[in-house]
Amino acid sequence: MEFLNFFIIVCAAWLLWRRPERERLAFTLLVIGCCLMALCFFIGSHGSLVPGVNL
Amino acid sequence: MRPLTEDRLRTVLAWVVIVLIGGPVLGAVLLGVLHGDSPCILCWAERTGMILIALTGLFVVRYGPRPRYLGLAVLLGVWGVYMSLRHSGLHAARDVGQGFSTPIFGVHTYVWALVIYVIALTVIGVLLLFVREIAPVEGAREPGKAGRFAMGLFVVVVAANALQAFASTGPPPWFGQGDPVRLSLNPKHWVWSFEELEPYHISLRGSWTIPRPDAAAADPDPAHGPLAGLPVIAVSGWERIGVPLNGAVSGFARDSATGRFLVTTDRYGVYVLDSSLSRAVHHVVMDPGFSVDLSPLEGAAFLGDTLAVLADNKSWALLLPSVAAASDSEWRHFLVSDGHVGEVGIGRFQTVRAHQMYVRSLAFDPSAQELITVSVPNARHRQLVVSRFARGDMTVSSEFEPWLGAALSLGPQRALADYLVTGAAVAGGRLYAISAAYSTLLVIDPQAKTVTAAYAVPGLAHPVGLAARGPQLLVAQADGRIALLPRPSPSP
Repeated sequence: MEFLNFFIIVCAAWLLWRRPERERLAFTLLVIGCCLMALCFFIGSHGSLVPGVNL
Repeated sequence: MRPLTEDRLRTVLAWVVIVLIGGPVLGAVLLGVLHGDSPCILCWAERTGMILIALTGLFVVRYGPRPRYLGLAVLLGVWGVYMSLRHSGLHAARDVGQGFSTPIFGVHTYVWALVIYVIALTVIGVLLLFVREIAPVEGAREPGKAGRFAMGLFVVVVAANALQAFASTGPPPWFGQGDPVRLSLNPKHWVWSFEELEPYHISLRGSWTIPRPDAAAADPDPAHGPLAGLPVIAVSGWERIGVPLNGAVSGFARDSATGRFLVTTDRYGVYVLDSSLSRAVHHVVMDPGFSVDLSPLEGAAFLGDTLAVLADNKSWALLLPSVAAASDSEWRHFLVSDGHVGEVGIGRFQTVRAHQMYVRSLAFDPSAQELITVSVPNARHRQLVVSRFARGDMTVSSEFEPWLGAALSLGPQRALADYLVTGAAVAGGRLYAISAAYSTLLVIDPQAKTVTAAYAVPGLAHPVGLAARGPQLLVAQADGRIALLPRPSPSP
């Protein structure tokens, strides 16, 4: 899934660089990348919002 | 200092992107290629967050400082700080030198991520502080030299990350791993897995959530216990604490030298009672909210003249009845005091086997000069652990999960961890433990680390403490009643 996210980010950067008129699409890809990154982190942390520490 | 114009802001931002991408992000790829370093799933997310901050910077380079770019950059920075703190928290409290993967300049990568995110947020703040108010302009700007270089570098470095991610984590739907294998360019060595996709629920502490044990909700019927066919010890009589207490009894001990009793309550009361349980010799109410968290008190023991009280989180306090104790100087320790008790120590037991397990009992072994706790198993740690702590430094000296004696047998799918020990006492070289679950008395040989015998004790209701008095065992209940049992003689 990390590979997919980097692919999305590269696409967004390429749009930014070579197709600047597609700002809306590039920004949408950026937001998707953020969401996918957050999802991967949640999966990696097994749903625990804090580590095994005392609150 | 002159305010930043839009052109200068875009140039500065382009260089910020170059530093961020060409520094930590490219460095991480080189670590993989040159040293085989492979990020775990959390490291991947942290690295991705840095890349996304850089990409947001490129949006500003291309389209100007629009509010949604700035908002997203701040959110990404805050999220990155959270991720790196969450990740560092897994390892920060380990023993000296321990951590995950190889440190860089003595600091592990997840801590470096925290540093980088804090710097990124600081840079965003400083730039916003000095940027001149800019009227929104539609359309894209042509980037300068630095901007073009930043964009090219960004695409190349992120593409390299994509290649590393493909080898290390695989194409979708595979995810990164908690324990990744080192990076290899040989496909035969690639490991793609779904190991992180185990069932879980989202909560503050996730699978680390340890509920506090509720002895009152335990099944008191010995017939439902894990040990089958236990002999019965009948309650031979009852006594009652004759002193008005400030709450329900939560811990209980007896001093064999003086015959006095030590009682704790669920409202932090600590009482020294005479041998008839009818007069309070000393009385204080602990301040649980100051310094070490002592809530709730669940165990009590006499250490000679010293009184030990224990909270279920293994925090302890040592009190000394003394006529010299001044009320004013002890005001900081007690909410209520009779003026004759002083606090002489306070701290927390550190355990290994009983880590992340509450305790509901405290005993003292005078021959070994050790304090003893028995853990309360939970869903995450299904173990019954006896922990012993040296009186001298209050540090763990040994821990064990008791074996089952030859005369005892467990029912199918049952374990000693089904018991909920709420009281313990040492007598005759044996550790006696009373379980609120299934009203069972366990007899443990500390030398052999074995439960040598167990007895059903019908008729108990919410036992909270255990003490020995000659040939008797005294089981204190939360309601202040004391059940008298004949103390079983040790099995050979």
